[in-house]
Amino acid sequence: MVRRIVRSRVADHPAADDLVQETLLRVLGAMGRVEPGMLEPYAIVTARHVIASMWKDQDRHRRNQHRMADLRLPDAPDADLLLGEDRAAVAQALQHLSDRERDTLLAHELHGQDTRSLADELGSTAGAVAAQLNRTRARLRVEYLLAVERTEPFSDRCRPVLIALSSGDRRRQRDVDAGRHLLECELCARLSQPLLGRGQQHDDEVRIPIRADADVVLARQGVRELAARAGFSPTDLTIIATAVSEISRNIVRFATAGEIVVELLEEPRPGVRIVARDTGPGIPDVEQALTDGFSTYRGLGLGLPGARRLMDEFAVVSEVDRGTTVTMTKWRQEGSP
Amino acid sequence: MNTGPALVSILRQGSYLIASIHTALDDSQLMRLQKDLVDQIGRHRSRGVIIDVAALDVLDSFGSRTLRDIAEMARLRGALTVIVGIQPDVAFAMVSLGMGTGSVHAALDLEEGLEYLDRQVRARQPGSSVVVPR
Repeated sequence: MVRRIVRSRVADHPAADDLVQETLLRVLGAMGRVEPGMLEPYAIVTARHVIASMWKDQDRHRRNQHRMADLRLPDAPDADLLLGEDRAAVAQALQHLSDRERDTLLAHELHGQDTRSLADELGSTAGAVAAQLNRTRARLRVEYLLAVERTEPFSDRCRPVLIALSSGDRRRQRDVDAGRHLLECELCARLSQPLLGRGQQHDDEVRIPIRADADVVLARQGVRELAARAGFSPTDLTIIATAVSEISRNIVRFATAGEIVVELLEEPRPGVRIVARDTGPGIPDVEQALTDGFSTYRGLGLGLPGARRLMDEFAVVSEVDRGTTVTMTKWRQEGSP
Repeated sequence: MNTGPALVSILRQGSYLIASIHTALDDSQLMRLQKDLVDQIGRHRSRGVIIDVAALDVLDSFGSRTLRDIAEMARLRGALTVIVGIQPDVAFAMVSLGMGTGSVHAALDLEEGLEYLDRQVRARQPGSSVVVPR
């Protein structure tokens, strides 16, 4: 019966089989909750949901396709096959959501049920439902990527990090220390590419990978450009760029890979925050490293202490064999435009 | 390695070398400048070196250190070094960072730098027959 409904809606067979499977799985899953006589109508509705969500996800996938690594030519001979794989991936991704998450998402996305009436049904508020929907979408994107790659996360840190990135929730990303995880976990670094594409809608943040000498210059220029938009004076811009130069040089010199993230701040007053992370050997004695003239290479020993003098706030967190994170902030002078 | 436009040009002006930096330089490019300058001082038997840093976006600890090293190496090779064109913002940041170019002489611009070299080089070789260009 389910097969017939599905066939009547989607003509092509490879997907149809997947959809039937998906529907049956869901109906089986819901068996306990549905009254015996209602099982058939439930199955019909579920089938409709599954089909509609396939179109929807396919559509979303098409829109996001340019962000995916595998650029395909349209109408390539293997397009059908890949499309089939995509659907399977979407179905698999949907499986990872809880029933409640899935039902709410489908009711909202497919049936146009607004957040308020959903909230009434769920005994919640419209805002909470909207937030939950966003989280569900974020999870769906992550599960989809994992399914497409046919892979499972290496550690239990991967999923929370990817979901935080996918939802674009910066506080959450800080809580799970997403930046550091991306430097350490190759899988997440790769998977997060399409997810980060979404995050870049925030234009008050730039992220500059630091690997070689030339990246130090890029970091200087990047931070200068962003801070200029915040209305810093030319003198302050040079001061900030100098501090960034010092700490990004440390990344090149002591660690093999790292990144500089620059973020504009509005609260409590306008400013710029710079976070420099690396996966280097770490600093055994941070106090000593912050002392003037202490240098482990042919330098002036002014890198860290100098940068600290240039900025208003400065913090170093370092773990031996794991890496170092320097967070520094400069506030805009009162009275500047 | 570098296929773009020249980042630094080193011009010969009489017994002086004038190094103009055209853009922001990274550490390895600064090291290359150091090597090139020291080589050319020997080749051209230069008496003075002017480094124009007006185009540098920052002079951080490494940049200052390199300029200081260049001046010291040039001195050991018999040439005097002047740094010209440090921008006011850059000067401010350098002082805030807690460093300077130490004993290396600095001048406001190329003209003043040349004047300084003329005076110093002439004073060093009183009565010598070396023609000092103006």
